[in-house]
Amino acid sequence: MTGMRVTTRSSTTATMRGLESSLNRVQRLQNQLSSGRQVERPSDDPAATVSSMKLRSQKRADEQYLRNIDDARGRLSLADDALTSLSSQIRRAQELLTSSRDAALSDDSRAAISAELVEVRKSMIDTYNARWIDRPVFGGTKATENAVDPTTGEYLGNDAPIVARISRDVTMRTDVEGTAAAAGVLPDILARAALDIGNNDMTSVVTDQDELADALSTVLRALGDVGARASQLETAEQSVDSERLDFVSRISENEDVDLPYAIMNLQTSQIAYQASLGAAAKVMQTSLLDFLR
Amino acid sequence: MSGFSTMNTAISGLLASQRALDVVGQNVVNANTPGYSRQSVRVSSVGAAPSSTLHTGNAQAVVGGVQIDTVERIRDTFLENTRVAAGASMEAVKAQTSALKGAEQLLSEPGDGGLQSVIDDFFNAWHDVAQKPTDEGAGAVVIQRARTVASQLAFVSNGIEERWETSLSELRATVSELNQAATDLAKVNQRIREAHVVDRPVNELLDQRDMLVRKLGELAGGKPSVQSEDGMVSVTVNGLALVSGVRAEQFTLTGGTTLATATSTPPTVTFGSSQVSVASGKAAGLLAALRTDLPGVSQQLDGLAVALRDVVNAVHITGFTTDSVPGGEFFDGTGASNLSVIPTLTSQLAVTQTAGEIDGNNALAIADLSIDANAELVLGPGSTSPSGLWRNLAANVGTQVQGLERGLEVQSTVLSTADIAVESDAGVNLDEEMASLLLFQRSYQAAARVISTVDSVLETLINLGR
Repeated sequence: MTGMRVTTRSSTTATMRGLESSLNRVQRLQNQLSSGRQVERPSDDPAATVSSMKLRSQKRADEQYLRNIDDARGRLSLADDALTSLSSQIRRAQELLTSSRDAALSDDSRAAISAELVEVRKSMIDTYNARWIDRPVFGGTKATENAVDPTTGEYLGNDAPIVARISRDVTMRTDVEGTAAAAGVLPDILARAALDIGNNDMTSVVTDQDELADALSTVLRALGDVGARASQLETAEQSVDSERLDFVSRISENEDVDLPYAIMNLQTSQIAYQASLGAAAKVMQTSLLDFLR
Repeated sequence: MSGFSTMNTAISGLLASQRALDVVGQNVVNANTPGYSRQSVRVSSVGAAPSSTLHTGNAQAVVGGVQIDTVERIRDTFLENTRVAAGASMEAVKAQTSALKGAEQLLSEPGDGGLQSVIDDFFNAWHDVAQKPTDEGAGAVVIQRARTVASQLAFVSNGIEERWETSLSELRATVSELNQAATDLAKVNQRIREAHVVDRPVNELLDQRDMLVRKLGELAGGKPSVQSEDGMVSVTVNGLALVSGVRAEQFTLTGGTTLATATSTPPTVTFGSSQVSVASGKAAGLLAALRTDLPGVSQQLDGLAVALRDVVNAVHITGFTTDSVPGGEFFDGTGASNLSVIPTLTSQLAVTQTAGEIDGNNALAIADLSIDANAELVLGPGSTSPSGLWRNLAANVGTQVQGLERGLEVQSTVLSTADIAVESDAGVNLDEEMASLLLFQRSYQAAARVISTVDSVLETLINLGR
């Protein structure tokens, strides 16, 4: 006898093993298809797991950078509004100063102009004290509630920056330097101008006008700087977002099931399973007993 | 030749056929009994007494019938021993795999539910604080997420510990099962010897014996010795006699009973005062998980917790709170199971780098620790960031489980091949038995026909005398 002896239990064992392994294959593919993932546990593919963990972590970081960009934009747009309003306030002050130089003005009229300048100064100080989540936008890192003292008009802040990370490699200043916004000088100029007009000291008013013009160009420069940073944020947002999307697609490539491939595989292994079931049923039902009377 | 001797010859044929039919019946009914070894009747022809030749002078008609020598039990010892070893290896890999797979499940990676995402969320929350240093809400989120990191670490750590304890109680059960099986084998050995002495059939006892030997192999990689003259089998575990003849030894389980003591006093199977190095079987798999695998995972996890604590503390301590108070430590604890968060209020977070100012730069520095290179810079040369340690842990466990699962596949093929080899040798083939049934039925009929022929010959002879 050349072949192996076949016995009831040996053929049952062999058949059961065959059935079991093809059923296992079918089940694994079914699991993959129903979860949509081919890497569900580290042991499915340790290397893919590690790179997937890293990619997911980077994706989360990018999501945070997008949040940071949103915050920075909030702070900068507040600064932008404040600077715009400052520039129009300065223009109003310039008009007042120009009109005060009319020699035909009565003392009362000059007093009225002076009073209005005092009001403009107050609202300027308010504008300088614009706050984004409790923190003055023009105050630097000083632990003060206001960037400019509401009564004395003294600048209380410093020029140290508030910084945010807007991408893996880039940080950006999100507030506006007080000196760059003329926070230290403007209230003084207006206070002085109000006095000079009240005293009808026109030579000093002319000096005040020059200083105001300087302050206006400083504020406009700051406005331009804020606009430039806003557009930098825009660019950063686009690149971080596209990087994030890239991570998302790479995570999916790494973890997700290749559907057509998996479905084909499932089809094939189901056919194999059915075939082995059929064969087992055919082989195991015949025996010599069927042919004996 | 005498008619009466022919009658006797035919009767011996009837008896032999009947006995053979008995054995076929036994084989058929046990075709599906696990561990049953098929039996076959061995017969031999019997020569006539030499005296008959002397007196009759007829040397050509010498017949004496058939006799049953023995009922043979067919089971190849070599194949059976291969099966025992295959079963032992299979059980070892199976036990180790199941313990480690439990640990793997606890990691919940890759995904958004694992420790990686919790750590990322924690560091990212610092970015919000850097932007809004005085915001109560942002600070509260940092503290909450830090607590989540701590509780997630504790969850995984406790899970590993539970897994370890389960494996230990499994090992305890395995050892007591082993002792029971050893006692049983010794008893069966004794019964085999007794039966042997009085020449009773022992085939079914030998089947029982072989099943017990298999069990000892599966439990602790016991190796059977060559069976002795009287049919007894002894079993050794790594050279130590567990069962020798009718005597069975008892093994005990010693060593630490908690994961914390697993490294200093590892769980050990002992006999008397000496250690039994179990190399195969379920006990070996469990020991590997208990002594190396699970403690290894737990140590890596503790290392991660310490690295996270150190890296965050190192930066937190250099900063100041918004009230100019120097920042103290942020995390407290010595490992994954007991990490805790010290600050309870937003005002206790060291968010700023310059005392007296509110710059948010320290919060930004902590947030930037999520970048591996930054964390490694703080931890010192040759160090690995907490996230990196976590990824290493996942990779280690994943690779190990993957290797074990491949081993399991290989072992199960080896085992079923060995099983099929044993069964095809010792198992019952019903077709074969049916054929034997016909054969012995026919030989019974033929022997009966011989009797009736002799009868009619004798009748003729007797009628001659009338």
